[in-house]
Amino acid sequence: MAALGRQVLDWHRLIPLTWACLGRRTFHFGEQKRTVSLLRKLTTASSGGSLDVVACVGPKKCVQEPECRTNLVQCLPEKRAPVDRVSLEPEEVITSLLDMGFSEAHIKDLLSVQPSASPQQLLSVTSELILLGLNPEPVCVALKKSPQLLRLPVLQMRKRSSYLRKLGLGEGKLKRLLHGCPEVFSMRQQDIDAVVKVLKEKCLFTVQQVTEILHRCPGVLRQDPSELEYQFQYAYFRMGIKHRDIVRTEFLQYSMAKVKQRHIYLERLGRYQTPDKKGQTQIANPLLKDILSISEAEFLARTARSSAEEFEVFKKLLAREEASEEEEESDPSDAEEEEEDEEEEEEKQCGTREAQLSPGAALPLVYRQSLETRGCPYQEGGVIRICPQQSTAVRDQQEPGRDSSSLPQGPSAAFDW
Amino acid sequence: MAAPILRRVRELLKRVDLARVPQRHRHKKKWATTEPKFPASRLALQNFDMTYSVQFGDLWPSIRVSLLSEQKYGALVNNFAAWDHVSARLEQLNARDFVNEAISHWQLESEGGHSATPSPACSPNLRCFTFARGDVSCFPPARLGSLGLMDYYLMDAASLLPVLALGLQPGDTVLDLCAAPGGKTLALLQTGCCCNLAANDLSTSRTGRLQKVLHNYVPQDIRERIQVRVTSLDGRKWGELEGDTYDRVLVDVPCTTDRHSLHEEENNIFQRSRKKERQMLPMLQVQLLSAGLLATKPGGHVVYSTCSLSHLQNEYVVQGAIELLANQYSIEVQVEDLSHFQKLFMNTFCFFPSCQVGELVIPNLMANFGPTYFCRMRRLT
Repeated sequence: MAALGRQVLDWHRLIPLTWACLGRRTFHFGEQKRTVSLLRKLTTASSGGSLDVVACVGPKKCVQEPECRTNLVQCLPEKRAPVDRVSLEPEEVITSLLDMGFSEAHIKDLLSVQPSASPQQLLSVTSELILLGLNPEPVCVALKKSPQLLRLPVLQMRKRSSYLRKLGLGEGKLKRLLHGCPEVFSMRQQDIDAVVKVLKEKCLFTVQQVTEILHRCPGVLRQDPSELEYQFQYAYFRMGIKHRDIVRTEFLQYSMAKVKQRHIYLERLGRYQTPDKKGQTQIANPLLKDILSISEAEFLARTARSSAEEFEVFKKLLAREEASEEEEESDPSDAEEEEEDEEEEEEKQCGTREAQLSPGAALPLVYRQSLETRGCPYQEGGVIRICPQQSTAVRDQQEPGRDSSSLPQGPSAAFDW
Repeated sequence: MAAPILRRVRELLKRVDLARVPQRHRHKKKWATTEPKFPASRLALQNFDMTYSVQFGDLWPSIRVSLLSEQKYGALVNNFAAWDHVSARLEQLNARDFVNEAISHWQLESEGGHSATPSPACSPNLRCFTFARGDVSCFPPARLGSLGLMDYYLMDAASLLPVLALGLQPGDTVLDLCAAPGGKTLALLQTGCCCNLAANDLSTSRTGRLQKVLHNYVPQDIRERIQVRVTSLDGRKWGELEGDTYDRVLVDVPCTTDRHSLHEEENNIFQRSRKKERQMLPMLQVQLLSAGLLATKPGGHVVYSTCSLSHLQNEYVVQGAIELLANQYSIEVQVEDLSHFQKLFMNTFCFFPSCQVGELVIPNLMANFGPTYFCRMRRLT
């Protein structure tokens, strides 16, 4: 039996635990001498305030929080327990659920969600969710909405829970996350990792901002990381929205198509300008909430001040423009038919180079200003600069390969194109 | 001793396959490695924002978004090819002939005795198909028909309006003073009213394009019969060259080509290097219009047209030319009212309601034609 230290803290209620999951947990950590104590707080719905959730992950030391609240549940690992626990009787399950704070009605719902699931399974899954800080009501809602959660192996549940805890997604945040993306528990770890990695390393969000994004826009987890990056780049470079505002306005939840339609429409109307290096524009840009979070009718009436039929036509034209641009990118050799052979060859060469840089990506990873300069006039501050005479014989179609050489390394190199 | 060795070395070097430096690595000075930071199209847009927001007020945003979006085309049917088949084919695509529609609509109204509107005197025999308002379909590219001629010519449908307004009648001698690249010249020929057609453009390369268009669309016997004459002279000289000669003159002057300037970088007139040229444009336009007026017979008609929205290139030029002729040559020119004409085509195009003289077609997303300005004048003396 592993000698496990026991922290005695103030508690209002001490519940002897015979939960299979907790038994397994001690088995996990039981090998080494360390102070392991699982401390979880269940707050009632009424208590607000910040919660300090103790995260106990792998070989790390746990942080104890000597906070006392009502309904304090403390796990006291008594002794090492074998993995296969004794199967629980339904009554025991019900008692445990009652102890966790579920009402009778809730328990009835839970049991009916998936009758085929073993009560043990139900108990382990629900206890995981409770341990993550969800209240009983949201747990019921989540399980009713996505019964497939009950079919998940408990080990995976646990691993994912600890990961989510590490990210700072527990309690209320988890509720929204579960609601928006129920497959957060069932999706592959590498997929979540990819998304988080893109947000942290490519888009340079802080850790808190990443948590905030995952909390507010759960759909982000479902997106392809390169598309996510493109959306961020569009917001940052093309629309001039900073990180803070991207998070605050929940920008990443909107589809790229909607963002582009509304933004480019406003831009071509002359009602939106991309801020220059200093963040200034010559007109007052409409607030983001007036662009994206409102209905189309209101958007047209208030922000764009245009008619619905014109917007419909514009959407069709924009879709066609995008389609033809994508065609050009994937097949640049077609684009220059009327030019001399020499130039055509160069096109083809650069085309393949571009393909090597972004293999398989249908969307341009590097935001290419050259393709989207139309109607985007004031990126240099709208001031006519006295710049030295540029070579005037510039070809119309800037091939992608050239611009990639000036790949911005991150938002700090934003406007050095 | 050294010479044979050198020769040997040279021979050897020739044989060694010194790999050609790949195309993409050759230094090409003439091409910039990045786009200019402030391209001419952006300068153009800035210029338009400054002037047109004042000129058009609340209308400007909708014009702006239309200019920046893909334009709408019309298909001018080639009467010298199998035009009835072509028309049927275009009808099947859901396009309709807006000229025919407008005229038959007017005929219905006048027969119903609604008003005593005079005949708008449109040039006859012009057939141009467009898609309905709000329909963004595209025409397939024109094809060669069985007679070795192309079946239709894709152009901005609003560009046909100056030709329609000219009101050609059979047997007219016609001058097209700035003819290239040839859309309006072709339309003039399509009316079948020209007894003589003189087409001129200063630029020889563009006249070449005009020749190609005529070659592809008009059969040779017609070109010979009508005596189509293509020249590359300075249009301003026409007053001296052929004064008082023509029944109908079309003066489609070089202008800032607003729509084109927002999209194309090459030879964009808003380049800083062409600033002087651009500022001299209105004067050049007045000179060309005056020459056109001088070349008209007394009693003849002139239509002045541009593809710009600017007051300075449109109304001011018309008024300036009329004044010039009155003062310097004592020639009286009268502007003719085109409001009935405008009513004919109101369903297809969007017209600007408050032009001092002439008519202006403004682009609108529902009918993304234009911008086209045209003004019809009559030389009285």
